Amino acid sequence: MKKLISLTVNGKVYEVAVKPNQTLVDFLRGELDLIGTKKGCEVGDCGSCTVLMDGRPVNSCLVLVVQANGRKIQTIEGLEGPQGLHPIQKAFVDKGAIQCGFCTPGMILTAKSLLENNPRPDREEIRKAISGNLCRCTGYQKIVDAIEAASQDMANQ
Amino acid sequence: MLLPQFEYHEPQTLQEACELMAELGGKAKALAGGTDLLVNMKKKIVSPEHVVCVERLGEMKGIDVSDGAIRIGAAEKVAEIAKSEQVSSKLGALSLGAQNLGSPLVRNLATIAGNLGSARPAADLPPSLMAYGANVVLKKKDSDRLVKVEELFRGPGETVIEADELIHEILVPLPSGMYGAHYIKLGVRSALEISIVNVAAFVQLDGDGKHIQEARVVLGSVAPTPIRAPSAESVVKGESGSPALFEKGGEAAASDAKPIDDFRASAEYRRDMVAVLTRRALDKAYEVAVRS
Repeated sequence: MKKLISLTVNGKVYEVAVKPNQTLVDFLRGELDLIGTKKGCEVGDCGSCTVLMDGRPVNSCLVLVVQANGRKIQTIEGLEGPQGLHPIQKAFVDKGAIQCGFCTPGMILTAKSLLENNPRPDREEIRKAISGNLCRCTGYQKIVDAIEAASQDMANQ
Repeated sequence: MLLPQFEYHEPQTLQEACELMAELGGKAKALAGGTDLLVNMKKKIVSPEHVVCVERLGEMKGIDVSDGAIRIGAAEKVAEIAKSEQVSSKLGALSLGAQNLGSPLVRNLATIAGNLGSARPAADLPPSLMAYGANVVLKKKDSDRLVKVEELFRGPGETVIEADELIHEILVPLPSGMYGAHYIKLGVRSALEISIVNVAAFVQLDGDGKHIQEARVVLGSVAPTPIRAPSAESVVKGESGSPALFEKGGEAAASDAKPIDDFRASAEYRRDMVAVLTRRALDKAYEVAVRS
């Protein structure tokens, strides 16, 4: 039996009837066409499905959409503002931290949460924070560079 | 991967949740973080007809100190336990267990009750909880009972929790005097890892601040459930801490371990690592105790 829920995604409120066995990632991609959030392993091991739920990065493949009732979700699509790319997005581009781009949405959202809680992380703290987001292309160095650069950029603003 | 179909229930109180569990019996599974249950459902390992979501129950939240114990609600997120200053200052080994569980993303969903209820031999929270002598409160519709974490597990994936029971809270008695504990997880990766061997050690010192009055050593991943290492404990009890003593303790712990060969490691390697990790954990636990 479907459940009526209300959730906010990228600032917009959605009142929807959803099946209990639908995951948040499938709802975001399938119902809202927000395909920036990716499906990799679907069991919480790769982080490509990362979204921010009430500000916290989570594996949306392991959240039932009914569990997101009353919560605020931010996907990668919600990062760009009227002024353009978010500083973290800009840093990823500038530092060459993107190859195939599959891990990138998850990485950026995790980085956003990190910098909100710890504005000046050292490289070890950055590595720990992104340890739930796997990248098969870059070897992580430039991703760490980008997050470090973004933290400096954001501190200067 | 699709989830099988099920009926979803969201009780508003713990009592309501218990009544649901009583009514639905073995046909229901409790859901909080979903980092174990939903994975198993996706892999078709389990397919409950009913899912009872307890994630938002207020009675299952909270980390607080009362009556000489730290009380942690069943649905408290592992990330909160890892960040808690109360836990890191008073139950350091539990803090380490929480910090090492899964990944930062998993920790934002996973709960302490889930890590107990899933009864995995390599789980990150049971060893320190057992080393601290923690208890679990299991609640059903009309009653509740206290079970030592040590007596919770029957085998891989099996606990003594009955079909109509829910984990309500975890109570960890705060030791008196000088004490310390440590937790070490050995794996190939530093995140998203299932332990090859994991060890927790707890020591409580005599009034002289040197002799070990009480010791508990818990080994994970080397038996069907996390186990105590009684040989290691009796080696160190009554003695004054020293590298030589902890080395002997490590060797004794290796004899208590019952590891198997699997794709992660051989039984022989695991046995060797039990000795090393026990020595290191005892050493660090003692150091913490002396400083406390």
